[in-house]
Amino acid sequence: MDKIIPISVELFVNLAAFVVLFLLLGKFAFPSITKMMDERASKIRESLEKAEDTRVEAERLLDEYKVQMAEARAEAAQVIEQGRKVAESMKAEIVAKAKVEAEAEKTKAIEAIKAEKAAATAELQREVADLSVAVASKIIGSSLTKKDHEALIDKYLAEVGSLNEN
Amino acid sequence: MSGTTAEPAEGEVTATEEVEGHGGEEQEYTLSSRIEHLNHELSVLALWGPLEEQQAEHAEPMSVVSSSWNLGSLASNFTLTNYTFWMMPAVLLLVLFFMAARSAAKVSLAKADYVPKGILNVAEAGVDLVRGNICTDVMGPEGAKYFPFVGTVFFFVLFNNLLGNIPPALPGTGTLGTTFLWGIIVFVVYNGIGIKKNGLGRYMKSFIPSGTPGAMKPLIFLLEIVSHFLRPITLGIRLYANMYAGHIMLGVFAIFCAVAIKNFTPVGAVVLPLSFLMQVVLRAFELFVAVLQAYIFSILTAVYINGALHAAEH
Repeated sequence: MDKIIPISVELFVNLAAFVVLFLLLGKFAFPSITKMMDERASKIRESLEKAEDTRVEAERLLDEYKVQMAEARAEAAQVIEQGRKVAESMKAEIVAKAKVEAEAEKTKAIEAIKAEKAAATAELQREVADLSVAVASKIIGSSLTKKDHEALIDKYLAEVGSLNEN
Repeated sequence: MSGTTAEPAEGEVTATEEVEGHGGEEQEYTLSSRIEHLNHELSVLALWGPLEEQQAEHAEPMSVVSSSWNLGSLASNFTLTNYTFWMMPAVLLLVLFFMAARSAAKVSLAKADYVPKGILNVAEAGVDLVRGNICTDVMGPEGAKYFPFVGTVFFFVLFNNLLGNIPPALPGTGTLGTTFLWGIIVFVVYNGIGIKKNGLGRYMKSFIPSGTPGAMKPLIFLLEIVSHFLRPITLGIRLYANMYAGHIMLGVFAIFCAVAIKNFTPVGAVVLPLSFLMQVVLRAFELFVAVLQAYIFSILTAVYINGALHAAEH
């Protein structure tokens, strides 16, 4: 029975222990530790929120950059396309111009050749006429009158001319 | 016997029966004499001061309490017993531990270094258990306000229980003087909180549940009062009995070992390894009980405070 009756001296020592402990721990040590824990908790919460914000921001930026990248690509393609078109049109122009010039040169050359040919033909006719008159005079002598003379030339010229036309 | 020998008793004690007990220890290794010795050493023994007086008053419990109120013998009221002697290093360790953790917390806060480490990490684990799993879980968010008290109770009980597991020491909580007084402190605190929160009238009225028939009211009130006054007693006896019984078990198996070694017989050859095994198992179990009882004591404290806070609601 005496083992379940508390002994008074132990009560007082324990009361003193409680008072000392409650003052030292409850009022002195615990607040510092709980303050540390609370501050850490708020710090971690803050950091997590900040990290979340940063992640969202990063994602937004990434999307933005993707859009910009796509735009830049499209623009570049457009520029290249445009450049090719310009080049092609320039090429066509140059070729056309060259063709026109070549045609003009050719025409000019042909005309020059024609003129040369006409001049040469006229020269030849005249030469032939003179020569034939001279030949005829030699053969017939001066018996031919002026009138006969001219008639002969014309006849001959007509012959030569018809030959020339063939 | 290593687990249960009360080391301080050897130098300080003046009682003739104690001296005789030590004399007999050298010669007799019979089971009954050792168990008698264990029983003696696990009893509450005053280490100095008016020892004979205390032991004499022990037989008449009421006179012990009344004589304690004599202020003239104030010093004698602080006489240590073999249990409260071991409470001192436990309290000292507890204070040193939390002071070290406190200064670590201060240093960390000043440096804005929030990485938990070292002693502070250990202290925070304990504080978080009491504040989170005991106070806040039982009492809700406002429970954190009562953490300093519940935490003091928890760590006092925990350190005493654990120190009792280091061989020469006895647990400071292994005597009713300690556990009953802490039960009374809890009783005073939770009733004080209840009265402060609800006012004396409403708090007393809450002892009668609403809807009680008129004729039953005095009986119910009486029963409630009795149940409230039983709380410190049950708190005290639960903790005391657990710690005391644990040390009796350890002591008994240690005696089996000692007697089996001293008087070696075929039976002893079987008893010795089994007793040693039990000693090991019980040591582990005592560590578990030490933490569990601290948890139970403080969670009941939290439950009582919670009941007092919400007394007006039922």
